[in-house]
Amino acid sequence: MATGRTWHDRHLGYMFVLPATLMLVAVLVFPAFITLKLSLTPDGGSGWALTLTQYRKAFGDPVLFQTFKNTFSFVAWSLVGHLVLGLALALALNQALPGQTFFRLVALIPWTIPDVVAGIIFRWVLNPISGSLNPLLHAIFPGFPAEFQWLSSPTLAFPSVIFANIWRGYPLVMVMLLAGLMAIPRELYEAAEVDGAGRLKRFFHVTLPGLSTIILIALALDMVWEFRRFALVLTMTGGGPGTLTEVLSTLVYKSYFQFFTFEYASAMAILMSVVLFVLSLPYIVLVGRER
Amino acid sequence: MNGAAAGSARRERRLEAVLSYSLLALATVYALFPIAWMLSTSLKSEAEAFSLPIRWIPQRPTVSAYVEMWTLKPFGLYFWNSLVVSGVTALLSTAVGALAGYGFSRFQFRFRTTLMAGFLATQMISGVLVIGPYFQILAAVELYNTLTGLIIAYVTICLPFAAWMSKGYFDSIPKELDEAGLVDGASRLQIFLRIIMPIALPGTVSTLLFAFLLAWQDLLWALCLISIDEKRTVTLGVAFTVGEFMIKWPMLTAASLIGSLPTIILYLFLQRFYVEGLARGAVKG
Repeated sequence: MATGRTWHDRHLGYMFVLPATLMLVAVLVFPAFITLKLSLTPDGGSGWALTLTQYRKAFGDPVLFQTFKNTFSFVAWSLVGHLVLGLALALALNQALPGQTFFRLVALIPWTIPDVVAGIIFRWVLNPISGSLNPLLHAIFPGFPAEFQWLSSPTLAFPSVIFANIWRGYPLVMVMLLAGLMAIPRELYEAAEVDGAGRLKRFFHVTLPGLSTIILIALALDMVWEFRRFALVLTMTGGGPGTLTEVLSTLVYKSYFQFFTFEYASAMAILMSVVLFVLSLPYIVLVGRER
Repeated sequence: MNGAAAGSARRERRLEAVLSYSLLALATVYALFPIAWMLSTSLKSEAEAFSLPIRWIPQRPTVSAYVEMWTLKPFGLYFWNSLVVSGVTALLSTAVGALAGYGFSRFQFRFRTTLMAGFLATQMISGVLVIGPYFQILAAVELYNTLTGLIIAYVTICLPFAAWMSKGYFDSIPKELDEAGLVDGASRLQIFLRIIMPIALPGTVSTLLFAFLLAWQDLLWALCLISIDEKRTVTLGVAFTVGEFMIKWPMLTAASLIGSLPTIILYLFLQRFYVEGLARGAVKG
């Protein structure tokens, strides 16, 4: 290879990646820095007199504290639900039973529903008078209260939102785990069977170890998405009653676009992003090591 | 001894099949119950939707809700807007992403790996972190309330995925093809457009799909960047209908179902492809 062409190639490489890089900088990186700067500005202030007022306010704000707690439990319970359902269904679907394709298609359907619609669906299913869950529960357990107010109940509104999110999100984990199951070599099971390992033993010694990496990846990806979940909560409860089902995305959105407290909203968005980054560090390290 | 072992193995297998089928049957009910309720409501008149006790199956089924969504509300326009935004986003993000992917795949340059990691890192950025300033930039250049402003945002969000996916695909195409092109006197851009892209076309399906679905399903960006009715997307139209004082549930459920149809069809049609892609990409790392 001639040195002239190497030099030429090096610059051509930049040309190819330039459009994408410019767009990422203009739409994501630059605005992120503006948000950072705004978060260090006093209310209604401008210029470069930076201050930590917004962060001081954030650390003493009970609503933000509650919202962080909500988001953590929203993410944690969603992940638990997605993993339990996703793993159970992936194992059942991996049996190559007749009718398997039908069941796989049906189990995937919630994943295909936009979250705006998922929120609306559950708002309607849980409607105390004209919804369908109350009559259903009443038919199965006759003692169940007829007009139970799911989404305005202080104790059950939040679990209801999580329930809806589990419904919406389990198929992705299921699909990833199913792919992981299909990638485990058959010979491993046969070898274990020859060694006299029973079903349970094979599950714990062949299946689970073979799935561990994909489980971690699926949960990490899912965590990043659930942490930012917005439309489902907004259309299902709007964050209410009060702030009981508020999550970080909806809180920042409201502070910015409804209450116009730009500086404070920016500080909350920065805190949210820092926490998400720290939480996803193990995943970034894991993927970095794999590649 | 041998026969007994085979018998118990058969019994075990039968038990496993029974367990699997019960689980799958339960999952089917769980997955379909909320959607069936939507479908049932969408086929009712307003009076029947609120009649007590509730009716699982509409007694007098009507498609009036499906007519109303086009006549009382401009859902036809919302659909057109969503289609334009998602279609253009899919094409542009795939094209710009493929350019970047080709650059990463074929050239060695300074900061190449840093830039690739940077692309990946931007995927962690939450919408709410950047949308405020982006909104102000759009207002300054008079792109607020335009589909263009929305498309630029969606294209950018899809770029990291598009660039990484296409880089992986280009890596599997032998470099000798590029070199043959160079010998024939073609420029690098011509090689990319005439030789490599046609071969890589099947690999762009997942990028096109990813971008189309992301743009179709998004609410946050549309909510913050569009405030006039003529430019609303389907998700925005649905979200605004649910915010109204008197919710017309049959019409809302009809609009929600029709609004989900494109994504349902795309996912189900291409799910096998998805699983294989995940098996190849994510599992083996």
